[in-house]
Amino acid sequence: MSRAPSRGPAPRDTIKSEVTLEAIIQAIINGSMTGAYYGLAALGLTLIFGVIKVINFAHGSLLMVGMFAAYWIIHLTGWHPYAVLFLVIPMLFVFGYALQGIVIKPVLEAQREVREPTEVIIVTTGVWYVLDNLALMLFGAEFRTVKTSITGQVFFLGDYFLPKPQVYGVVITILTSGLLLWFLKYTRMGKSIRAASLDRDTASLMGINQYRVYNIAFGIGAAIAGIVGCVLIPFYYVFPSVGVVFDVKCFIIVVLGGLGSIPGALIGGVIVGLIESIFPMFMTSTWTELIVYAVFMAVLFIRPAGLFGEKRDW
Amino acid sequence: MNPGSRKKTIDTLLKIMLAVFVFTLPLWLTSPTYLQILIFLFLFAYLTTAWNLVGGFAGVLPLGHSAYVGIGAYTSTVLFITWGISPWIGMWVGGLIAAIVGTIVGIPTLKLRGAYFALSTMAFGEGVRVLAENTMKVGPCVIDGPRGISIPLIPGNNFTAYQFVSKVPYYYIILIMLIIVLFITWYVSRIRPGYYLAAGGEEPEAAQALGVNVAKYKVWAMALSCFLTALAGTFLAQLTLYFYPKQILGLDFSFELAFIALIGGRGTITGPVIGALILRPVGEFARIYLSAVLPGLHLVIYGLVLIFVMLFQPRGLVEPLTRFYDWILNKVSGTATGKEVKS
Repeated sequence: MSRAPSRGPAPRDTIKSEVTLEAIIQAIINGSMTGAYYGLAALGLTLIFGVIKVINFAHGSLLMVGMFAAYWIIHLTGWHPYAVLFLVIPMLFVFGYALQGIVIKPVLEAQREVREPTEVIIVTTGVWYVLDNLALMLFGAEFRTVKTSITGQVFFLGDYFLPKPQVYGVVITILTSGLLLWFLKYTRMGKSIRAASLDRDTASLMGINQYRVYNIAFGIGAAIAGIVGCVLIPFYYVFPSVGVVFDVKCFIIVVLGGLGSIPGALIGGVIVGLIESIFPMFMTSTWTELIVYAVFMAVLFIRPAGLFGEKRDW
Repeated sequence: MNPGSRKKTIDTLLKIMLAVFVFTLPLWLTSPTYLQILIFLFLFAYLTTAWNLVGGFAGVLPLGHSAYVGIGAYTSTVLFITWGISPWIGMWVGGLIAAIVGTIVGIPTLKLRGAYFALSTMAFGEGVRVLAENTMKVGPCVIDGPRGISIPLIPGNNFTAYQFVSKVPYYYIILIMLIIVLFITWYVSRIRPGYYLAAGGEEPEAAQALGVNVAKYKVWAMALSCFLTALAGTFLAQLTLYFYPKQILGLDFSFELAFIALIGGRGTITGPVIGALILRPVGEFARIYLSAVLPGLHLVIYGLVLIFVMLFQPRGLVEPLTRFYDWILNKVSGTATGKEVKS
């Protein structure tokens, strides 16, 4: 999925080609671009954890919902894939807001005194099962693709080629994270979210409606998952369990970068993307997945809070 | 006879009846399908009880226990195929290896907060799966990567080879294993380290302040849990005689243990058994009868059961069921004052 012309999680070739400087630079370019949308996928997860202190196991499923929403809109109307963003973002925001408000909030309230309620993890896992399998029931298990105007197109930068959808993905990642940082830093709601993530009880005492903040944070997290869905649509397959592909990756990325840290998620994403694109040049590609896990375990041993994590979270 | 002691007699009588029922079940339940479902039910009750030592008493959420099931299965099988060592011996070797691995993983990770621990054990489990899928051979031992291993069939019942024609011996083996592991958790919950463990699980800071070495007891619990889990790995391998990484080391496996524990009641002794009693049949029958109607429907139902139990009984079903059992006992024995009955 890191190489340009291929679509989706096609098996990478296992033949070791000649490793040249050009090939390495191309791999770094591809890896960084892959890493950008990995990081974007992890961004929503890390935001939700930072505020609610809950790992959202349904995050991949939200991404899947976003992808299917984008898929159907493009398929039925033929819109430009990024025009769809204006529909998918509000849809997923409302979806996440409602999900948190209806399903997760009651459990959170019951477990108020627990800092990291395990029950909520199980609830989000239940949501994951329900969403993925509802998609399976409705749309079937086949891998779907949609041909958009930018599918398969590339920019050339000297000798290197940059697939257009991925380049736009990087741009969207930068815009989204910039916007998110601005929102958290300067708006009233953003400040409330940060306050609630620092200390929910004190924030409540200061007149912040804790659960409304959670709803909005969850909505934003879901909306970001929707953005990733739109970014992936031009070059990735859509299928009901597509979220699982990203779930474990996102978990690794957020722990690498530090749970709750926004720059950590982006940098963690790029690290994983680079590992996945560079290592296959030197070894059988199935081993690269193991390298990711090994790096992850090593980070955990050396610096458990991750690269940008805060000590109070571990 | 006063109502209190009558209640106690009825309680004991019911428990004896339950024991007799469970032990004589294979005599009249001849359908191998149902027996297989029961065997898996007990296996999951066993695995979850072992999981509960860490996940329940130590108060963290391990999501990578399939790794230890796999270690148990692979160790005993490889020893059997390569050197002809009986799985009955191999199972202890597997248990020991799992305990060592569990300790190595546990020492750094058990110091971490809940979310980090959950994610790191999950990543560890996945890492073990990828490792198994990429390993074809270790020295003379064949692992065979993603294809998995099938254990050579030995004709007839063979106790040393841990292979039986009928399901009945497997039923009794797992039943006895379950009783032993239940006894172990009951015992652990009554001794001093068990109290330390529970204290560390509920209030790590407070326990630490009182001079309890929380991390040490958690690592001990982890080692014991991994050891017991690996023993069941050998059982699973011998029961199915064929296993492959995606099945035995998969995420679904690890998750199911957590589901069962939380549905039943985390940190309780009977919780995992009750959770398995509820969740396994729901999963199995929904799969058998509904997956042909609409693919995925059974997992939607499974997910909904998880959500609803967590919404309405976040502490698991063991609590209301104990109350219900107590209520019945009171009705039957005619006691007015509902005294707590330990079940």
